[in-house]
Order: sequence, then C-alpha cells, then structure tokens
Amino acid sequence: MSASSNVCAICVQNVTKRYGNFTAVDDLSFEVQPGEIFAMLGPNGAGKTTTIRMILDILKPDKGSIEVLGAPLTDATKDRIGYLPEERGLYRDVPVIDVVTYLAQLKGVPRAEAQRRATTMLEQVGLGANIKSKVSELSKGMQQKVQIIATVIHRPSLVIIDEPFSGLDPVNTQMIKDLLYDMNREGTTIVMSTHQMNFIEEMANRLVMIDHGRRVLYGTVLDVRERFAENAVVVEGTGDWAALPGVRSVDVSDSRGEVTLHLADDATPDSVMQALAVNPAYTVRRFELAIPSLNDIFIQVAGNNSRNGNGG
Amino acid sequence: MAWQKILLVLKREYWINFKRKSFLFSAFGVPLLTFGAMFLIARFTANNETDLSDFNRIGVVDRAGIVTVLENPDASAGSDEPEYVLLTNPDEPVPGEDDPEARAAYFDALVQSAREQFEAGELDGYLVISDDYVLTGLVDLYVEGSAPAALSSSVRNFMRRQIVSRVPDSLAVPPERIAAPVEEVLRDIETGEELSTEALLGRMFVPFIFVFIYFLATSTTAQFLMNGVVEEKETRLMEILATSVRPIELLWGKMLGLAALAFTQIGLWLVAAIALALSMEEAREALAGVNFAPLDIVLVVVMFVANFLLFAAMMLGIGAASTAEAESRQVAGILTFIGVLPMAGVITFFTNPDGPIPLFFSFFPLTAATGILLRFGLTNVPMWQILLSLAIQIVSVFVVMWLSAKVFRLGMLMYGKRLTPRAMWQALREGRSTLTTASEPASGTFAE
Repeated sequence: MSASSNVCAICVQNVTKRYGNFTAVDDLSFEVQPGEIFAMLGPNGAGKTTTIRMILDILKPDKGSIEVLGAPLTDATKDRIGYLPEERGLYRDVPVIDVVTYLAQLKGVPRAEAQRRATTMLEQVGLGANIKSKVSELSKGMQQKVQIIATVIHRPSLVIIDEPFSGLDPVNTQMIKDLLYDMNREGTTIVMSTHQMNFIEEMANRLVMIDHGRRVLYGTVLDVRERFAENAVVVEGTGDWAALPGVRSVDVSDSRGEVTLHLADDATPDSVMQALAVNPAYTVRRFELAIPSLNDIFIQVAGNNSRNGNGG
Repeated sequence: MAWQKILLVLKREYWINFKRKSFLFSAFGVPLLTFGAMFLIARFTANNETDLSDFNRIGVVDRAGIVTVLENPDASAGSDEPEYVLLTNPDEPVPGEDDPEARAAYFDALVQSAREQFEAGELDGYLVISDDYVLTGLVDLYVEGSAPAALSSSVRNFMRRQIVSRVPDSLAVPPERIAAPVEEVLRDIETGEELSTEALLGRMFVPFIFVFIYFLATSTTAQFLMNGVVEEKETRLMEILATSVRPIELLWGKMLGLAALAFTQIGLWLVAAIALALSMEEAREALAGVNFAPLDIVLVVVMFVANFLLFAAMMLGIGAASTAEAESRQVAGILTFIGVLPMAGVITFFTNPDGPIPLFFSFFPLTAATGILLRFGLTNVPMWQILLSLAIQIVSVFVVMWLSAKVFRLGMLMYGKRLTPRAMWQALREGRSTLTTASEPASGTFAE
C-alpha cells in the first residue's frame, strides 16, 4: 500500500535531514492513520523533534516527502493542526482568556466563537476562576492545561503534542487524558511524542520508535510487544516451579511470589497451564504471558543501538 | 501573504501594548506633566519678567549730565512704568567739569543718598549713569534681587528719550529714527512674505521639535516590539505561532501594530504640543511661520512612517537574533544612536544645510527622514532628493524585513543559543535550506 494512494493523516516517506555532517533523520518512513492515537518514541537526540518540525514545515527535509492530511502542508492545512512543542510557554502578562482567544483566532476561529469555546474549555479543566488571571499568576500545572486547550481549541483534525503529561499530577494527567480521548473519539488524530511508556501502552494504537534518526520499531503497540515476547509466563503463587513439566528455568521477579517461567522449546503456555491445573501441589493466583513492557523494549532497543555505536 | 492574519497580529500588538502602563504614562502622562511644568514656569517666571508693580520709584544719579526728560510721553494712563526721579542736592550746585574731584565727591554723595533712600524704602531701585556714558553707554542699575526684563527695557527706553531730546531740530532725521534706526523686516525668499523673528525661529525649530518627539515616541514602541519577539522566542511561543502564521506575516503584523501605536503617541504629543504652543503668543507666531506646503507635510509623514518601519524591522531582527532582553537592548541602543546622529550634528545643518554631512544623513537609510526634515526649514530641498531618500528607505524596509524573517526562522530553532554572525550570514546567503547548516551539529543545537 503506497502512501500516495492512501489518504493518511501523516505520510513520512524516506525522509532525511542533515545538519552539516550530522544526520538527524535518516531515510525515515512511517504513516499515521486518520483517527488513531500514534506515539513517537525514542531516546533523547533520536530525531523526534526534527521529524515533527519537518511535518509542520518549520524545517524542510533534505530528501523524501511528507504529506499531512492528504497533501503537502499548506497554510490552510496548518489551521487544521494543533501543535504543542515540548518546551512551551505563553504570553506571561496577558489574561488567560486573551491568550487562548488570540491563538484560536490565528487558527481561523472567529473571535466571539473563540471566546465562547475558551471559556467552556477552561471551565472544563477547572480553570473557570482563572479566566481573567494573567498567565504568570498560574501554577505550572495550570499553565500546562491552558497550553493544551490553546492547542486544541480550534478543533483540529490532527494534534501533535510533545510530552503531553510532563509536569502534571495524576489528577491533571487524567483530565488531559480524558480530553485527548474525547477528541480522538470525535475523529481527531493524535500524535504524541513521549518518554512515558506507560501512557503509550495505555493510549496509543500504534507507534514508531526512532533511534539515531532511523526507524527501529513500527507497528501496533501489541504487535511490537509480542514481537519482543519470549516463550515465558509470569506466575504468582506457590509450588516447586522448576519441577513443573515444560519449564526450562525460573526467575524470581519479586518478594511477593511472582516468578517468570522460561519455557522449553516444545512447551506452550497452554500446556503449562494444564499441568498446573491438575497438580494440587501448586496454588496459582495469577498466570499471564510474559510480554515485555514497552519500557523494557525501549531500553533493550536503545541500549543495543547505543552499544553498537549506531549513528553519530 | 494572509492579510487577515497580519491584521489580527496588528490589532493584538496595538491593544496589548497600548494597555501597558509604560505606554499610557508616556502617551498621556508626559504631555500632562509638560503642561503642568509649562504652567508653573509661566506662573512663576514669565509673570515676574513682565511684572513692574514692585518698581514704582527709580532714582537716577546722572554723572554724565544727560538727563533732561523724566516723563514718558508715550506711557499710557494705566501703565505701570516706574517713575524716574532725578537725584540732586538742592543745597549745592553741581560742580563744573573743570573741577573733577569736587564733581566726583558731589555724585558719590548722591549715590550714597540714593542707597539710603533705597534702604529706607523711598526708592525701589536706582540707576547711576556713568561719567563717560556718551562713549560707553554704561548705566549701573541697583535693585533688590534680580531685575525683570521689563525693567531693563524701561531703563533702556528712559535713556533713549534722553538722547532723542538732544537731537537738534535742524537734523533732517526725526528723533524716532535715532531711537530706532532699523525696522528690520525678514521676508520669505520664495514668497516675499514678511516673517517675524518668531516665525523664523519656528521654521528652524519646529522640525527639530518634531524629530525630538518622534525619537521619544518611537524608542518606547520599538522597545516593545523587540521585547515582544524576545518573549515569544524565550517562551518558545514562536514555534506554536509558526504553525499558525508565517514568520513574515507575524513580523509585518507586529511591525504595523507597533507603528500604529508609535504614531498614536506622536499624534497625542503633537496635539498637546500645538495646544501648548497656541496658548503662547510667541509660539503662535513661530507656528504661523512654518508654512510648509501640504505636499511637503504628506512627504514628511510618509518619510517618518518609512523610517519607523525600517527602525522597527531592524529591532525585530535584533530581537529574533538575541537570547535575552538585556542583550537586545544593547544592540538596539547602537541603532538608536545612529538614528539620532543628525540631531547631534544639527549644527552642521544650520551652517550649511546642503553640505556633504547633511546630504549624507539625508540618504543614509536610518537617518534619511531626520536628515531631510532638518534641512526642510533651512534650505530648499529639491524634490528629487526627497523622493530618492524616501525610495532608499522603502527599499531598505523590505530588505530588512526579509532578512529579519530569515533570522526569526533561524532564531526559532536555536532556542537559548545566540546566533553567531557566521550562522546568520549563512542563513541569509543560502535561504531556507541554510537551516540545515547553520549550526555545529555536534553541539546538538537543534534539539534532537
């Protein structure tokens, strides 16, 4: 399936970007489908921000092509995108409502409508009392909520957020998550770049992992995790795990009795579960496939690349 | 370019900065303070200069023997002109000139007596006409404190009356001519119309005052402009804005917004200055002398708009290139200094308005508007020079805006880093693609 024959939210095709002799992005390709939550991950300096800036036409790629919402980026398309960079700020000495209204107007929302939406959204995230406060009078978490509202107030078709949850407490994190989920349900495509793997596991449909400017992982979150899964199960309970048929070796994971059973090549998780069920010497409180977390995968992939001295 | 977005940025920049305390103070507070100060000065100084009510009797010691007329035949009935009292010694005739010692002693005694009468409050002052007055014109005036200008003038008229009274009838010159030998009339070299001294001063100084007001007003607004860009860069709002509006649109919007603000301020100050001037007779005459043709006025306005836009475009570039307000202020200071150079060298305009230095200032982009305007009141500036100067400025505005937008794009990506002249030069030379080579890659200037 070629990108040009398919209207994707973002099509990045064989994109390369060099700064002098340094290759920041190296022949990178990926697609973001309309309506999905897509994650970009990678270690610091991997090329994520450069890629985002190329998507947004802030930088031009040296090679390759990028299409956004079905065509190369135009001024009209820009109004359908909401972008929040990682290091972000707002006009400090200006009332919150004015900042949000102004940014919405720049995206083509009429003034009165922008004010109405800003008021509603600020109230939604608990900032109703701060509408007329100056930005500088808000806490960091409050400012972050204002920033996110400013990013989505024009109801974009595509939202790109760099580290959406950094600096937020659990309550505010949930509030922003709900906001993003609501928008996604209404059809907005969301691209988030983050280091917080738990959010990717929880929220994203698909991901691309970039390291040294190259694509190292790409696919649905579940696919990627299963691809890294070995033939093993995680069990919590009591019994002589090493004596169980089909178990090659045992790792004790923690003091609560959770162990990882590495299975022999001819054994399957199903056969081990059957063996446990018929043997009263074992009690089992939990039994699950040992799929590595994205965090483990990230560390494994990024660590390998770094050891292999891949890239500059 | 999306004019709607430019207009949006323009409006925002205008109102946000209009509401700043520092702007409100300089736009409204400064004229009010000036009015207040002028009022106080007028109240306590100007009045004192014309008020003769404290000087009713002035004693006269006439060592030269010249005084014959004490009354002022021209004084109106209600005039507060002082009464001149010739001091003599009724008991002793004035010694003749053949006995200088006795004569000196006689007048010394009169001076002593005048002083005693003054201290006793019988005289409000006294004047001593020196022996050699005819040769030297020397008259000593003794009063309490300082003498108002009106008193000096009254004394001068008093002495003039003494001289006029001695003109023999046989002289075919009326006494008035001797009192005032020249009635000078200054005329406009173009129109032949009569110009008062005040009008002449107005021609020279009104442009000067306008330039002064212009610089005061624009330095405030240009500072706002630069600080705005530095803030957007420091808070990284630039990157968000860049996804909504093109850098060049953003910069034009900002520049035009602040230009509107600067000219609002200049307008307010000019209205205040004219109102103030109309309240003073001399200033009214000075203003009347400034008979610039309407076309000239339009050209001057256009020229100053162009000058402000150029200045503002440079401020935008500086703001985009620097990392902190303090740093940008230093560079801006240098620009302002260049801008006011014609004011510093104003003497070269007065001595030879068509000389090489005024001509240079008239065509150098940053000083062109001031250079031309300062020459306006002093010489007949040819139309081709005005148009050339204007063209130089307008072209400069577009070139500098284009360069500033480049620097702005580059500055946006180099957050927290100062743009080296080399990086900027490369960015400007190679255009957009330079963003690829503008920095040292190993330093990780471009995040990730």
